[in-house]
Parts: sequence; C-alpha cells; structure tokens
Amino acid sequence: MKVLFRILGLIAAVLAVVLSVLPLSNLAFIPAIAALVFGLIAFLMAKQQQEPRKSIQLIFILTIIALSLATYKSIFNESEVGNTEELEKTEQKSEEEAIEELEELDLDDIDIE
Amino acid sequence: MRNLIVALLVCSTNLLTAQNTAVSSNEKLVFTAAYNMSGIMTDLAEVTMETQSVKTSKATLLHLKCKATTYSKWDNFFKIRDLYESYVSPTTLKPYMYKRDINEGGYYKFMQYKFKHKSNTVESLKRKRRKDGKTWDENKNISIGPSTIDIITTIYQIRTLNLDGASAGKVFNFTVIFDNEEHKVSLIYKGKETISTAVGRKSCHKLAIAAQTEVIQGSNNNLLWLTADANKIPVYAKFKIPVGNGELKIKSASGLLN
Repeated sequence: MKVLFRILGLIAAVLAVVLSVLPLSNLAFIPAIAALVFGLIAFLMAKQQQEPRKSIQLIFILTIIALSLATYKSIFNESEVGNTEELEKTEQKSEEEAIEELEELDLDDIDIE
Repeated sequence: MRNLIVALLVCSTNLLTAQNTAVSSNEKLVFTAAYNMSGIMTDLAEVTMETQSVKTSKATLLHLKCKATTYSKWDNFFKIRDLYESYVSPTTLKPYMYKRDINEGGYYKFMQYKFKHKSNTVESLKRKRRKDGKTWDENKNISIGPSTIDIITTIYQIRTLNLDGASAGKVFNFTVIFDNEEHKVSLIYKGKETISTAVGRKSCHKLAIAAQTEVIQGSNNNLLWLTADANKIPVYAKFKIPVGNGELKIKSASGLLN
C-alpha cells in the first residue's frame, strides 16, 4: 500500500511538472494537488513505520516546483495574440478583391446612396 | 475551433426589413474565447468583431469583419487565423457578399457567397487546399429563401431585434446559410439579467440559441447575453459543442453608435 502511494505520488508530481511547463499550466494544479495528497499519505505511513522518506521528499519537491511555476504563469503571463502579419495581408487582399467583386454585383436594390 | 466559432456565431434573424439602430461603422469589439479543459476554463483565442464603411461606385456598404486568432502560446500546438467577413447594407444589414477564410492547424478553407436577392440565389465559391499545397475551387449556384442570410450578418442582425418588449419564451427564427446549406436557427428570449463584464456591470438580455445542426447541442446550452441598451452589444456567450464547452467574454468595446 505504501509503495502504491509513493508511485502514485511520483506519477502525479511528474505529470504536474510536465503540465506546468506547457501552455496548459492551469491544468497542473489538478495532478499537483493529487501528488500532495498521495505524498502526505505516504509520508504518514512512512513515519509510522519509521522508514526512509527520500522518495516522498522528491514528490514534495517536484510538486512545489510545479505549483510555483503554474502559479507564476497564471499571475504574470498575459495572453497575447501571436503573429498576425499574414492575417492582416489576407484581410487587405480580401477587401481589395471584395470591392472589385461588389462593383460587378447588382446593387440596384440597395436602399442607400 | 471551427465548431466553436460556428456555435458562437450561429444565431440569426430573418428581420431583413429591420432598421439598423445599433451598429455603427467604426465599431470594434474584442473578446476572449475560453475552452473548458478538464473543468478549468483556459483562454485560447482572441475574437475581434469590427465594422467599417466601404465605398463602391454604386453604393456605400458596411463591412462586417470577425477575426479569430489563437494566443501565441497555443500557436505551436494549434494555430488559428480565421477571417469571416460580410458586406451589408448599412441601414437594413441585408447581406451582399460573405467571405470566410479559415486557417486552423494547417486546415485551410475559403468560402464566398454573392447574394442575388432578386433571384433568391447565392453564387457560392468553395476553395480548399490539397495535401500537396495546391488549391481547388468548387462553384455552385444555390437557391435560398428570401430571408436567408450569412452567419456574420446574423450576429449583427440580432442586435436590431426589438427585445425591450419581449417576454420570456418569445422565439425569433432565422435562416442561415453555412457550408452551402441553409440552417434554421431559433433564438429564445430568456429575460433580463445583470452580469459583470470587463466593460462594467451590465443589464443584459439573455437569449438561448437552438438549431437543427450537430454543432449546436440542446436548446439551453448555448446562451448569449446582449446589453439591454440601444447598442445591444454581445458581452458574454456560453456554448456547448460536440467536443466540449466554453465561453466568450468581452474584453473591450469602442466606436459604439449610442
């Protein structure tokens, strides 16, 4: 049982770190919380049986790294639109073509000047 | 993302005779599109809705433009650069030309409709890109109903609806042409609600969108909030599509008519 919690804790902590460096960093909170819970259970079990806690420390360190990164990114990283140069060119070209094509269209029924 | 945009945009009207008292020629609305990922709303893209006057030798038209652009952090995963345009009468918002140029994660598609209102037809052009990079065109003439409009015009025509006297449950029906097919769309008035937005706390008209398409699911899952003032700008929308759900929140609004 104690091994199971250590393995689950490690998997969740690694997943949290991986997610925290990706744009999906918001999702890192879910495995990070799971890793903390598994790590805590594993820690309490190890404390009762007085066993080495190196792997549990690793779970906590990884989780803290993941949480710190995800929190930093959610606070300081503002969402910005990427390169839109191509889209702007498309817009301009599209408008020029549209005006030419509108000239050919029958706009006689239009209710404006 | 295409479904997402369709879901957000498919809400239309047949009030071709309605007068435009809500949309100006220099309006710009900016939205943030968020998608629900494992229960966490994640900002994915910026959606911009702009209007401007366009002059031809015969008339002055209103150019309606909607753009969807993914945030830079997503560009390496799934880059979206979509452009939807419509050229309409500035007074009645009757469409004359519609263009859709989508570029989504390498998938490219271009659609153009030229509305021939006298004959109730649409001259359609579809352009797609093959794997080898070459494009192919498909031209069609499609018969449409007298009140059929494109999806962009629809969004703007919703703003010309008279919602002030509407009672909860009132249905507004529309016919929208999308991907060369006509779709019946209904807007069901749900009443007034006051919500907090990036442009302040606003009293809004709440509308539910229902359509006989696979994209829009259920009759109460797709909701739209329009400000309960003369501009009736969309400030918030919730949508549910086959691949998940999300929301659209207003970020800024400028150049409003009223």
